[in-house]
Amino acid sequence: MDVLTLEVLWNRLLSTVNEQQVTLLRTAFSTVVRESQDLACGVFDSRGNMVAQSLTGTPGHINAMATGLRHFLATIPPATLVDGDVLITNDPWQTAGQINDMTVVTPVFHLGRPIGYFASCCHSPDIGGQVYGGGATEIYEEGVRIPIMHLFRAGEPNHDLLAILAANVRVPDETIGDLYAQAACNDVGARDLRHLLDEFALDSIDPLADAIIDRSERAMRLAIAALPDGSYANDTWADGIDGEPIHVVVTVTIAGDECTVDFAGSSDQVGRGLNVVLNYTHAYSSFAIKAAINAEVPHNEGAFRPVHVTAPEGSIFNCREPAAVAARHLLGHLIPCTVFGALAQAMPGRLMAGGSEASWLTVWRGEWPGSARRFTFTLFQSGGAGARSGKDGLQTNGFPSGVAGVPVEVFESRTPLVMHRKELVPDSGGAGRFRGGLAQAVSVSSRGDRPWAVSTLIERTRFAGSGLAGGRSGSVGSYRLADGSEPPAKRLVTLAADERVDLVLPGGAGYGPPAERLIAAILDDVVNGRVTAESAEREHGVRVRYIGPPGRLVRTPRHYTITPLAHAALP
Amino acid sequence: MRVGVDIGGTFTDLICVDDASGSFTVAKALTTPDDPSRAVETVLVDALARAGVAAAGLDQVIHGTTLVTNAIIERKGAPTALLATAGFRDVIEIGREARFELYDIDLELPEPLVPRYLRFDVPERTLADGTISRVVDVALVEQLGRELVEEGVEAVAIAFLHSYANAASELLARDALARVAPALQVSISSDVVPEIREFERTSTTIANVYVQRVTREYLAALEQRLDRLGFVGAFRLMLSSGGTATVETASRFPVRLLESGPAAGALAAAHHGSRAGVRDLLSFDLGGTTAKFAVIADGEPLRSGDFEVDRRYRFRKGSGLPVRIDVIEMIEIGAGGGSIARVDSLGLLRVGPDSAGAAPGPACYGNGGVLPTVTDADLLLGYLDPAFFLGGAMALDVAAARSAIERDVATPLGLGVEEAAWGMHQAVNEGMANAARVHVLERGRDPRSLPVFVFGGAGPVHGFRVARALGAPRLIAPFGAGVMSAAGFLVAPLAFDFVRSWPTPLDGLDRARAEALLRSMEEEGAAVLRASGVAEDAITHEREADLRYVGQGHEIRVTIAPGQDDAALRVAFEARYRELYDRLGPAGVGIEAVSWRVRSSGPRPTLRLDVPGEVGDPLKGQRLAYVPERGGMTLVDVYDRRRLAPGATLAGPAIVEERESTLVIGPDAHATVDASWNLVVELA
Repeated sequence: MDVLTLEVLWNRLLSTVNEQQVTLLRTAFSTVVRESQDLACGVFDSRGNMVAQSLTGTPGHINAMATGLRHFLATIPPATLVDGDVLITNDPWQTAGQINDMTVVTPVFHLGRPIGYFASCCHSPDIGGQVYGGGATEIYEEGVRIPIMHLFRAGEPNHDLLAILAANVRVPDETIGDLYAQAACNDVGARDLRHLLDEFALDSIDPLADAIIDRSERAMRLAIAALPDGSYANDTWADGIDGEPIHVVVTVTIAGDECTVDFAGSSDQVGRGLNVVLNYTHAYSSFAIKAAINAEVPHNEGAFRPVHVTAPEGSIFNCREPAAVAARHLLGHLIPCTVFGALAQAMPGRLMAGGSEASWLTVWRGEWPGSARRFTFTLFQSGGAGARSGKDGLQTNGFPSGVAGVPVEVFESRTPLVMHRKELVPDSGGAGRFRGGLAQAVSVSSRGDRPWAVSTLIERTRFAGSGLAGGRSGSVGSYRLADGSEPPAKRLVTLAADERVDLVLPGGAGYGPPAERLIAAILDDVVNGRVTAESAEREHGVRVRYIGPPGRLVRTPRHYTITPLAHAALP
Repeated sequence: MRVGVDIGGTFTDLICVDDASGSFTVAKALTTPDDPSRAVETVLVDALARAGVAAAGLDQVIHGTTLVTNAIIERKGAPTALLATAGFRDVIEIGREARFELYDIDLELPEPLVPRYLRFDVPERTLADGTISRVVDVALVEQLGRELVEEGVEAVAIAFLHSYANAASELLARDALARVAPALQVSISSDVVPEIREFERTSTTIANVYVQRVTREYLAALEQRLDRLGFVGAFRLMLSSGGTATVETASRFPVRLLESGPAAGALAAAHHGSRAGVRDLLSFDLGGTTAKFAVIADGEPLRSGDFEVDRRYRFRKGSGLPVRIDVIEMIEIGAGGGSIARVDSLGLLRVGPDSAGAAPGPACYGNGGVLPTVTDADLLLGYLDPAFFLGGAMALDVAAARSAIERDVATPLGLGVEEAAWGMHQAVNEGMANAARVHVLERGRDPRSLPVFVFGGAGPVHGFRVARALGAPRLIAPFGAGVMSAAGFLVAPLAFDFVRSWPTPLDGLDRARAEALLRSMEEEGAAVLRASGVAEDAITHEREADLRYVGQGHEIRVTIAPGQDDAALRVAFEARYRELYDRLGPAGVGIEAVSWRVRSSGPRPTLRLDVPGEVGDPLKGQRLAYVPERGGMTLVDVYDRRRLAPGATLAGPAIVEERESTLVIGPDAHATVDASWNLVVELA
């Protein structure tokens, strides 16, 4: 295929996947999908190779879907498929590592045979079992497990499956509505792909897939080969559960044009739902390598080939059945910045520091006042991201997950809960030449007069993410009740009607020595309340003073002075 | 006699039409950023002199401007403060917490228009159902008002949680500011955009008040200039929704002036299409830096309530400041004559979104640009005549274009220079076609059914291939395609849009309440229009509702026909849903209305344009141009557009030149000039 034709077809294929994702967002029912965009979309060739993925979504879903499709094709051979079939599974080991993640696959029929597949993966708002959390000891407690099967057969819904789901989940309209949205988005992608085949008189996308996958592989190999050979290790600690922290140990080995990410030395799998399947470990590891060395390469089969991911069986990053896995993203999200910390030894002066990393996911549950109607609401939140080699970290921004928050007004309209604040936390960003991103704090209470409950899937409340090149860590997160007590995280906690929950997320870490931060940037941070004067003095050796009238509410830059203290060597 | 005038980023365009005879005059001058009204005076004086008319003889001047967009992009609005519900002043900085690009670790988000030190917590609380759980602290608001004035702050946005459900606290705070600081410009979110979702509502309210003073001052200066010239007619502003408004209304909601120029382009396409009997089409406007596509359905552009200004990241959704206003729905992408080509790490050609803009410009402009651009490729391919760019007013440097393409594209890809130029031409066309295809499909329409209406300086050069890539049945190029978008100003009615959030299930709908809500908006609309001089019996209202399945987050806008009940609304919703997404939602799930809308309009002006043709042989000669179907550079007929009168036909490949643009027609296509002087190229 000549380079100019390839260019045309490739961009056209990308547009089919974006069309697919837009449809998913517009037709989804749960806020998890439509507001937080905890999802992924992708297109695969006839052999099950992932060719293109949507622009946004979550890397864990996208890359895990790539491996997942092979399981679909092995279980239900393509020859048995008919037009209008739609397949489904939520098996953690075969797809995205937790039972809430529904993968829906639709074959694209052209000239009477399947020539490719559209797949989408979404976090379901509820799948039965325990209220979403990390408290289960085995997968069986985490909800209804659906082996690979039909969701639609020749266009007709699998009513048996839907009836079982409806009887087992807390919010059947949302759970089943989202499955319909996934089927609809795959349909729209397929409709678009058939246009493409017609227009270019193609009977297969395989040659296009081969060409783009080969080019991706070559570009990845080139980028890896540019790094010095060697083994680069890094580690971090995670809160774990029940006071037992988990050690994350990674070794990145560069050998010629190949790269291995190995997790030997990490903790063993645990008795609660924090375990990560290898599929998901692979997803975030390959994401990290690509983001670090060549963000431009499309993420497809070719980008995976030179990257190998290994973890000892039975370890936290390659758990055995029937381990509980519901909260696996908390550890999975720590992988990219830990890999960056290792790779930074091979590529100094680049990359980004650690930070909050893991998305905070809280599930709120209770009854509406004056009725027996129950509510279940999943809230995503992001803390501060790590600083970059030339920029401060992003505030309240999810890296690596890319999952969006939920508007306060939507949260309060769909639950009887009230948020009392959602604001940035001063001094939560780690100091450095570039400062880590700030975290947010929220406080939540109920308007009702009955007990309510929350399950908090949160991380980095004990161990902060690490800075790079001399940058300091950001602050750790916290989860407290009104009286200051700390209820157990990662479990469902029942709350008194008049209780208040205070969540403070972790901040991002800094990049480079704090002494090298520009004085104007320090002043700006203090004027804007991102950094307190005390912290500026402690971390940067400068004294910022407010010289305006006391009691004044409006304090502008002219009301402050800044003087270097110990070292006059500030730039 | 009416005038439409558009201030664009580079040029200020004007069209002056004698509605009695249809004769018209166009004028163009460089935009004057320091005082944009100066360029308006220049083009107006120029056009009036050539038309032999005095300013006093003008009935109406309709104006569109990028002033508001630029004030936001360049952060040149007033020093602005935000008063927010205590605990929520960071809503504009926390934003959606998402990443619009997964792999870029150097990602940046747009800087909020209000710095954190000017964002204030105001003790108050309204709950989701509109009940007030904490009364606003008026004394604190008063203290803030006094201090803000002392600090030179000129504008204040007030955006409290759930104010769309109950505006009382915002109104109290506004009154408090008015008492202590009457000089402050104040916008409240329940007035600017009474819709749920605090980030978008706050962002819109801030943008509105941020540009209010600069808009007022600018409009006052412009009115003074028009007064001095002796203009006594009506002065109107084009809104992003495609309606027009008086200066007073526009100054109250200046954020509704965003993108008013492109809106006019879509209206012009709708108008020309309807005159040619084509009521469904795809409008395609291509300039130096961006391409814009809009779907015209049954003679009208589609509208939507979502917009983003200042997209920082390759026009990617999510990378700009969200603004909730009624806009003509269009997609804008970073592709144009100035788009730069490069070879990426996969060894594939990429064109745009980086643009050489006007400075340094394409290599062939000879203004210091050295990177290969789309215009350079178009020149090398023989589509542009180096001696007839802008009618010969600007000479193009072919050698500079050739060396730039050779160095950065041909050599790395191992291609010949013409082949590389063709690759660039094709890549930018495909990029535009892909964006257009997604946009059209998202609106539930088949791109292969829509004729493409092309205009803008670079549009006619690329329209043919873009239309082919889309599978469009035909391409329509109006006479004067390079300046024709200004005609859109002259077909827009006085109109204003209203919205109220009232979430309610469609089953068991309280019809009396719905009727009262819609009626109240209609009364407000009628009052605005009457005050603008529209006769009572010329006022029309259009009702719409935003509907969705209970539990969804995205609504579909459905028109409420007179007398339509909830059952009919359900049918309309389901029909539209199936059209968009191929299948309905799960059985048994209810439908709910979220927002209710009214658009109140005055009469739509009629526009007649009498094209100044010329008699003579239309064939100017031949030149070498790249036709890949014929194996490369081929001798192609070149026509003079002014001499292609109605009824004339020609066959591709061909090039048709006029002063401000060049139309390129590929092989296997036949073109006819219709009665309105449109060149209609059949592609099927």
